[in-house]
Amino acid sequence: MVVIGGGVTGAGIARDLSLRGVSVLLLEKGDWGAGTSGASSWMIHGGPRYLEYDWDTTRLSCIDAGHIVTIARNLVYRVVFIIPVLPHDRNNIERMETAMEVYDRFQPLKKAHPHRRLTAEEARQAEPGLSPEVIGAVTMEEWGVDPHRLVFANVEDAVAHGARALNHTRVTELIRDGGKVIGVRHRGPDGATSEARARVVVNASGPWSPEVAAMAGAEVHLRPAKGIHIVYPHRISNFSISAESIDGRDLLMVAHAGFTLLGTTDDDFYGDLDSVDVLEDEVEYLLQAFERVFPSIRDYRPVRTTTGVRPTLFKWRRYEDELSRRYEVIDHSSTGADGFITIAGGKLSMYRLMAEETSDAVCSKLGVQVRSTTATQPLPGNESDVEPAAELASRCGVPALAVVKLQGRHGSNAEKVLDEGGASRILCRCEPVTEAELIFATRHEQVRTLADAFRRVGVAAGPCAGAACILRAAEVVGRELGWSASQRFDAAREFVRGAWLGRAPALPHAGWAQEELAQGAMRGLMLGER
Amino acid sequence: MARADSLAKLAWAYGLHLARRRVRRPGPQLGQLLETYSPDGIRAITPAERGGHPRLVTCINCGLCALAAGRIGTTRLPDLASSYMRLYARIGEASSDVAGDVPDLAAASAVCPVGLPLDEVAAVVRRMTMR
Repeated sequence: MVVIGGGVTGAGIARDLSLRGVSVLLLEKGDWGAGTSGASSWMIHGGPRYLEYDWDTTRLSCIDAGHIVTIARNLVYRVVFIIPVLPHDRNNIERMETAMEVYDRFQPLKKAHPHRRLTAEEARQAEPGLSPEVIGAVTMEEWGVDPHRLVFANVEDAVAHGARALNHTRVTELIRDGGKVIGVRHRGPDGATSEARARVVVNASGPWSPEVAAMAGAEVHLRPAKGIHIVYPHRISNFSISAESIDGRDLLMVAHAGFTLLGTTDDDFYGDLDSVDVLEDEVEYLLQAFERVFPSIRDYRPVRTTTGVRPTLFKWRRYEDELSRRYEVIDHSSTGADGFITIAGGKLSMYRLMAEETSDAVCSKLGVQVRSTTATQPLPGNESDVEPAAELASRCGVPALAVVKLQGRHGSNAEKVLDEGGASRILCRCEPVTEAELIFATRHEQVRTLADAFRRVGVAAGPCAGAACILRAAEVVGRELGWSASQRFDAAREFVRGAWLGRAPALPHAGWAQEELAQGAMRGLMLGER
Repeated sequence: MARADSLAKLAWAYGLHLARRRVRRPGPQLGQLLETYSPDGIRAITPAERGGHPRLVTCINCGLCALAAGRIGTTRLPDLASSYMRLYARIGEASSDVAGDVPDLAAASAVCPVGLPLDEVAAVVRRMTMR
């Protein structure tokens, strides 16, 4: 069978089916997790927000989050929110604590702790940057995750169990035989077109689902919603913080492993899915909300923005924020496209469950009786406990911090990665990333561009945004892929340009001075771009 | 229907919550909070660190401080400012990287084009790496 779409759901389906012994071809037109999955808030969360609309979504999210936390231990970490309450907030402290008391019933499902209630003074002791106007706070725990690594871990495991997985490969046509879809034509990165026959084709292309379904003459109704995040290259605070936006929405400042995500917006989107820009108004909307609870937010320099489009199920006469995050497995056989299944809607936190239900639908068509094992089977790197970072660091001659980060991406496979290419020197110093890891990613993890390298190992993800490392990264990737000197320079230039386009709408007044200095270090990579 | 059901259940929970609050008010919970998340490396930062924090994270990794003063422990100074200062929750596991000799941080700060006070950066990182 063929899966179209290499986001977290498509990768999860490929893994689920290959573990059941089904022959799978997974196709992604860009890079793994480069679409909606990568533009998420990087959280496996239960969604207390949905308690106002649909407790079942919260329950299912929490159950599946519990499974994900178990199978992907190296990729997850606790994210603890302080939810401050200000006078005139939509929810007073008693309402907010009620919501957390209800949410506490679901927390054990995802191995999380119950909430705490803090006085105003306690809240400011925990986070001194909170506004003096805060009158109290409650806490809430969620899980952080690197969605790019989560997607790739699923791809990697699928391949380990016999699947073929091709990134930068676009499906150009669905092959039909009367009322049945029997395969796909696809074009690879070298421009060559190939054909693959399949008994079932799954459309897991997220917001692109209607477009792919149209190739089969089928219809999928979504209400795509755009969301942006501002990315700061540091943890601004050890606790994450929530804030209420001008229109009463709950926004989050999420403290991740070495960076902070501030988001998100939620707006109906009608534009080109392959070209979603961040607007200065959207940035201002987020900053305005956080300035109220965390006044110094404008003193920090963002390093980039992210933007993505949620594949929300269609519903008329609802505000975007009220739309259900439920999902639907659609079998198109009743509408003249037998052998074609779409998975639509849903959220990152329950990707595994979505993949399991879609795979069940595929298996019932194929007559496969094997049940899913993805709830308990560990993802690569989680088969055993990791050794202490300092010990591995000392043995391999790299900084302990580099090992901490490496273990976060590769778990118990970290040493194998460090052995690759005999190159233990640090390549990206902000993250930090070793040259060995980038070589490993290029050889074994389908890195084909510098943006792929950014997603796979975090190269150029730090405060300098690549100023100090991108040319060296281009050298390493180019050497592995056989790029010429000019191709290496062009690749670095393209990466810097892309990063700049994402950063420009979010740069504050003070950030421009640093930007000038950083670009001065870029040796001509930015010439003509501003 | 799901919405009405959800709101009704929340209203019921709210009533129960208010009733409970009249009978019993739990004491301070900050200590429990910090203790719960101590193994994960999540902890409060001090008011002094918070006040200076935006200024302490402006490194652009130009490398001039490395030319002026070298390393703190085994860590190059630009890495201290651009990487270790990112307040990783698990930074305690990398304490060995910054243990040892302290170079002439005043000389390093003097050449920094963004005016980073590297002595303050070093103090924060060393406190955060203590477990």
